[in-house]
Formats: sequence, structure tokens, C-alpha cells
Amino acid sequence: MDILTKNWDKIDPLRIDSYTRTGGYGALRKAIREMDPEKVVAEIKMSGLRGRGGAGFPTGEKWGMAAKTPAKEKYFICNLDESEPGVHKDRAIAEKNPHQIIEGILIGAAAVGAKKAFIYINGNYQKQKEILEIALEQAREKELVGKSVMGSAFKVEIVIFEGAGAYICGEETALLSSIEGKRGEPRLKPPYPPVAGLFGKPTIVNNAETLANIPFIIKQGAKTFSQIGSSASPGTKLFVLEGAVRNRGIHEAPLGITAQELIYNSLYGGGMASGKEFWFAQIGGASGRLAPAGKLDQSLSYGPGEFPLGCGSILVVDKSADIKDLLFSWADFFHRESCGKCLPCREGTYRLWEIAKRIKNNDVSKRDKENIEEILWTLSNTTFCPLGNFAAVAWKDAMRMFSDKIFN
Amino acid sequence: MSLQKILLNFEPRPENLLAVLKKTQKENKYIGKKECEVIADYFSLPLARVYSFASFFDGIRTKKDDKKIIKICSGGPCLSENSKKVARQIEMFLGVEVGNDIHSKYRLEYMSCLGLCDRGPIVEIEGNIFERVKPETVDDILKNYL
Repeated sequence: MDILTKNWDKIDPLRIDSYTRTGGYGALRKAIREMDPEKVVAEIKMSGLRGRGGAGFPTGEKWGMAAKTPAKEKYFICNLDESEPGVHKDRAIAEKNPHQIIEGILIGAAAVGAKKAFIYINGNYQKQKEILEIALEQAREKELVGKSVMGSAFKVEIVIFEGAGAYICGEETALLSSIEGKRGEPRLKPPYPPVAGLFGKPTIVNNAETLANIPFIIKQGAKTFSQIGSSASPGTKLFVLEGAVRNRGIHEAPLGITAQELIYNSLYGGGMASGKEFWFAQIGGASGRLAPAGKLDQSLSYGPGEFPLGCGSILVVDKSADIKDLLFSWADFFHRESCGKCLPCREGTYRLWEIAKRIKNNDVSKRDKENIEEILWTLSNTTFCPLGNFAAVAWKDAMRMFSDKIFN
Repeated sequence: MSLQKILLNFEPRPENLLAVLKKTQKENKYIGKKECEVIADYFSLPLARVYSFASFFDGIRTKKDDKKIIKICSGGPCLSENSKKVARQIEMFLGVEVGNDIHSKYRLEYMSCLGLCDRGPIVEIEGNIFERVKPETVDDILKNYL
């Protein structure tokens, strides 16, 4: 069952007619003409759709919070700031079917009563930004965006906001701060953005992949959607396979699938690349846990589980890899991307990065070994936002599983 | 385009601040203290706020830098495509280690993921992005751009 990738490479992303011919914007018409906003929110709630950015928060709950918060102004934001190593699924949606995201935004904005929407796009995604700009221009010409959407009383303007290379701005409150012209540092929650977000107004921040699911749910109904995937988290997901696997790239699969199947089934990964022997898989991007061969049989979905799915990226590591290089890769990323707001993360990621360099150069001391444990505990338990926790996840698994290879 | 002219294209609302910085950098290569003062004045914001905002982002430079900048992705997917060997080859070609800021003409740095993981290893030279770079081809690329 394909929801997101169904029309990829079949439609022309630069022509709106190509999208409408496949039934595109039919869900928006249904949402505006046949349903009232409460009904739309209820439908999304019932579908069980959960946020695809990593946290897996129920989308309908979020919309409901913003919809029932009274305010003259509300905002709707599509989070397309993906910047975690190994994740490029939102880039692909923007590139191959931009109107699917725009239709999701429009339905969401109408449901919560937002008159202004932003697409917050990763500053490196220049080509995708241009595609979205063209798509928005065509949607404006067709009166799908603007003063009277489809001739109704609903009006909305969508603008593209371009980031400038900060991973933390994918965190929703940091994202809001950066739009407000403040350093992209996370804020204390509550209040949550649906209650008090951008400029203090109720704001929805949804991942682009989440929004791309909305047209299907509205058109086919929550019931159809909720029967796909796992019962705790229905629907399909874009998984990104990277590393020593035969078919690298993006694969759509129902949630609840196992990593085993994703890696070895010919529909998806197609097994290990020739000459490569499986060592472990990192599930959920650079912030994901490490799964050895014996643990690949666990189902991947949002909800409790040993291996959080995150944004759906799986890095397959083969036996020729050097764990020391990977430790450096993780530490290098998080030390650069720590925003500096809280000391445990700023200092912790920095010191971990210094130790990673020494590990790489086989120059690690006894004191370093003792400090690693201390730093990882601090990152896991005392940082202001989850970035600090993320920085420690893979390291903790690596220390437990491969300490003989790290300190040889 | 002068900074004054750039500012004319934007209303002084906070959500335009980052766009102004990016546009200014495109014209001016960096955003120095003087530019920050003019921008702060235009947006009626404290200078400290504008400067701290500008210095926050990887994509914004607050200092003049005449060195040519070469960056290589340090992410896991690029690593699995042999970015380590590519990095070593660049180090040998330029005669400078990654992260070691001693060369008078070049600066070689690791960078965060650009989202091009399916086309790694990724190398960026003076803002130009190169995909699927191999240790054998990197010398030619560098010769053309430096």
C-alpha cells in the first residue's frame, strides 16, 4: 500500500494540473465544502496519525489543541528543516510531489483556523525551495491559496521560510524562535506551541511527511488509513536505507515492519550489498540506537519499543567499518549542532568530541574512559532539550557492545 | 547591491531578519559589525540581538575570511561511502589537516549533513557541492576550483 510515493515519478512536480489529474486537491475540496473544521480534526484524530518527524505525537491531538484555543491569529507551520545525517525523505516529497504537502497544509490551516502558514525549509534545499515556490505560485493562480480558497470564506497565505544550517531548528520551539528573529534555542514547554507558539499565538508545527498523509486520510477516511500499518501507529512511513545495503534510498513501508524485512526483503533493501557482511544497524538517524543482528526482528512503529523509529532512517553498518570513525562522526555532528543554551549539552558534546578525536587517533587515556561514562550520563539526564540525549544514544550502545574494539 | 537597497525589499518585521542576513551575505560574503548595526537600526532591534542571531547559524559568517573553504560531510552515510579516504586525500593535496586552521590560503572543515546522503560522499568547495566524490577524482576537482 503506497500513500506517499504512489505518484512519484508519474506526475510532473512543476505542473499543478498533473497533480489535480490524479485527484489532487480533492481532499481539500472535501474538507472545505463537505466537512466543518471540527469534523476534519476528529477525522485526523480517529486516523491515529502520528508525527513523522521523530517524536510521534498524535497529529489530531495537536490540531485539536490549537483549534480550541481562542485567538485572533493562528499560525500553521510545515517543518521541512530535516538535517539529521541519513535523513532526506522530506526532501524527496518536496521534489517529487510538492502539492501533496501544500494540500496537507491547507487542510490543516483550515481545520485549526490559521490564516498564515510557513514552510520552514532547510537552507541547503535550494532546488526543493524553487519547486515549492513554483507549486505555490500555481496554487495561488488556481485560488487554492489566497483570499478565498476554492471560493469559500477560508483565506490563507503560505510563505517559504528558509533556514540557515542549524539542526536544532528542526525542534519545534527552536524553529519558532528562529522565525521570530531570535537564536534558534529551544523554549521551555509548556506552554506548547498549539497554545502559545509563534509570536505567542497558537501554532501548529507538523513535519512535511505528516502533512503529506493528510489528503489521503481526508479522501479515503480515517478508517481506511487506520487499517494500514500497526494498530498503535497506523499508516505507512518513508524509511531511508543507507550504508552497506543493496538498494539504498527511500522505501515506503507500512509501520510495524521489522528492520529485518526492510533490510533483506527484495521490495526494500534487497539484502546486504555484495561482499558486505552485516555488523549492526543504526535505527533512527544519527540519534538512533544500534541494533545487532539478533535484534532486527522487532517491529518499528511509534510508541513504546526498544528501538525508537525516529525519523525512519536506517544505517546498515558492515563488518569492514571502524567503530571509532562512527563514534567521531556522531560526536562531530552533535558538538557542532548543540545550540549552546544549556551547559550540559554545550560542554558535554564538546568534550565527547575531543575524546572521539583521541579515540580515533588511538590516543585515549584512562581518564578519558572514566569521563565518557560521566559525560554520557550527563547528556542523557540533565540537558534542556532532547538534543543532548540524542548525542548520547549511539555512544551508549557502542560502549556497551563494542568496548573491546574501541579501547584496543 | 548596497545594504540599504537590500533592506528596501524587506519590511522590518522579525520574521524577515534571517532572510535579510542571508541576502546581505550573498552580496557581501559576510555580515560584519557594521552591517549588523545598520540592520539592527532598520529593524529597531538591539544590536546584541542581531549579532547574536547572526552568529548562531552555520550558514551565516560574521567575520571576513579570505581563505578558500573546503568542507566534507562527517555523517555516517558518507562515511560508509568512503568519505574518510576522500578526506585524507584532500588533506594530502592541500597540505592541511581537517579542522586545523593554519594554512594561509585554505580552510578544511567537517560539515553537517546536507541531506544528500544517497549521493555521498559530499564535498563542498567554495559553496559548490560535489556528489559521489572518490579519492581518485578529488585532486582534479580541487585543481579546477582552487
